[in-house]
Amino acid sequence: MRSVRRRLALPAIALSVLAVGCAVTERAMPEDADTPRWTSRAIPEARGDFRVLPDGRRAAIRYKGWTPADFGAFRTYAYDDARPEPAVLGATIPAGLSGDATKGRVLFLDRAKGPCTGCHLVPGDDVWPAGSVGPDLSTIGDRRLPDPYLYQLLWDPRVVYPNTAMPPWGATGVLTPEELVHLVAYLQTLRAPLPPERDADRNPFTRKTPVGFGDGLDPTNNPAVLLAEDAQAQWEEKGPAGRACADCHPGGAERAMRGVATRYPKHLKAYGRVMSLEDFLEAHGPETTGRPYAAESADNLTMTMLVKMASNGLPVTLDTASPEARAAIARGRATFAKRVGQRNHSCADCHTRDGGAGKFLGGRLLADARDGLTRHLPTWRTSQGEVWDLRKRVQWCMTPLGTNMLAADAVEYAELELYLTTFDDGKPLRVPGIRH
Amino acid sequence: MSDLGKVRIRVPSSIKPGDVVQVRTLVIHPMERIERDAQGKIIPKTYNYITRVVVTYLGKTVVAFDTTQSVSENPFFSFAFRATDPGPLSVEFHDTTGGRYEGKVDITFA
Repeated sequence: MRSVRRRLALPAIALSVLAVGCAVTERAMPEDADTPRWTSRAIPEARGDFRVLPDGRRAAIRYKGWTPADFGAFRTYAYDDARPEPAVLGATIPAGLSGDATKGRVLFLDRAKGPCTGCHLVPGDDVWPAGSVGPDLSTIGDRRLPDPYLYQLLWDPRVVYPNTAMPPWGATGVLTPEELVHLVAYLQTLRAPLPPERDADRNPFTRKTPVGFGDGLDPTNNPAVLLAEDAQAQWEEKGPAGRACADCHPGGAERAMRGVATRYPKHLKAYGRVMSLEDFLEAHGPETTGRPYAAESADNLTMTMLVKMASNGLPVTLDTASPEARAAIARGRATFAKRVGQRNHSCADCHTRDGGAGKFLGGRLLADARDGLTRHLPTWRTSQGEVWDLRKRVQWCMTPLGTNMLAADAVEYAELELYLTTFDDGKPLRVPGIRH
Repeated sequence: MSDLGKVRIRVPSSIKPGDVVQVRTLVIHPMERIERDAQGKIIPKTYNYITRVVVTYLGKTVVAFDTTQSVSENPFFSFAFRATDPGPLSVEFHDTTGGRYEGKVDITFA
């Protein structure tokens, strides 16, 4: 966080952003002012950094294939980002615009825009994959809703539904007034009778729920198990500082680390903050062995898996009682409910039963945070062919939603992870997992 | 990969006599690919990869695979056989450098 703030003070940055940066320094940090400052040690792609392009615009440094767009205009999870949610604004259809339903349908399906189909079902075999987070719009036209009302719902639905999970598409500039008018025209054409459904999986309300990918601990099934075994050699091998993990933790990783991972994330006095195992490794590794273990680096992920695997089968036993832990969990809960980014989404919008949990976002079934989402991480992702930890998963979630991610080892993420892990308290660890 | 030649075999946890059993096996091996120089010519050397996999059950060869470099690193093989009697099932991997890596599992009936 500190490094972010320093960058904001650079003269190259627009004045409005600078103003935020100044306001920020006056805010008290949640931790004691005497505690050591935390500077991100994550790998460059995971640090939430920016570079300034020749034309003066900022481009985010993210993983290959992730958008480099700067969503600096929208608020983030940073504790020192005191900006409010975008204001709720009424809107009326600008004069002189007329809608084209054909253009509207293309926009409805456009993956670069919404896509609206991520949450709403409409007829058509080319609508794939449709989600069910929002209402089925297959016959919305039969309701004879007035155009201005539909326009308002698309521009900013919070005027009508204050707690909706639907983004304010017009207010945040994702869709222009002209595009919204086309969409309204398309919605008005959606009338019964519906064409016959040819594929039960097209419709998220009748689609089969995914069954998973089998045993995550079977090395012939989950490649992450083999990767974790790579860390075994590093456990014994002396680092640049002349010491190996095994020198201080004798008896092999499996015995020496038994039960350790069940207590993370936890508040560590020495660092004055909540840390996940990944965060701790990043600080503890260089201090002892001299190896960096940067957040989201291969070394960090494999060593985290090795340490967590030593606790497989043991129940998660978090500290939830100490004042530090209770304060951190409260902040994590607030983060979970905080609406951020261009889409103005909170975690709760998708991952609670009141929101999208148990429903499909596009082709993906959304999980409920209260069922516990943390015990299998780091996990093998079959869709990516690599191991992701919770931080990368959260950073990825943020990016298409139009939010500048924080550094992987940011305290905001650590406390969010702690809050999420409270739902796994008492349940057995099972690392590495295997997921889509 | 740290443990070259480590073989893992997975069989179902409960097997009845006469069942057709699906076996999953994996060996840690680099399976070196052909390398080419800047002119695109293949660099001549002994590439280390697995050329033969032999499965033995009750002293008899059940199946053998001849494999090439086109098989991935840490190759995974899956096959089925009929479990008639309790006894050892072994899978042996041979590579081009003379390496022999064997994994064994005892077939028992629940």
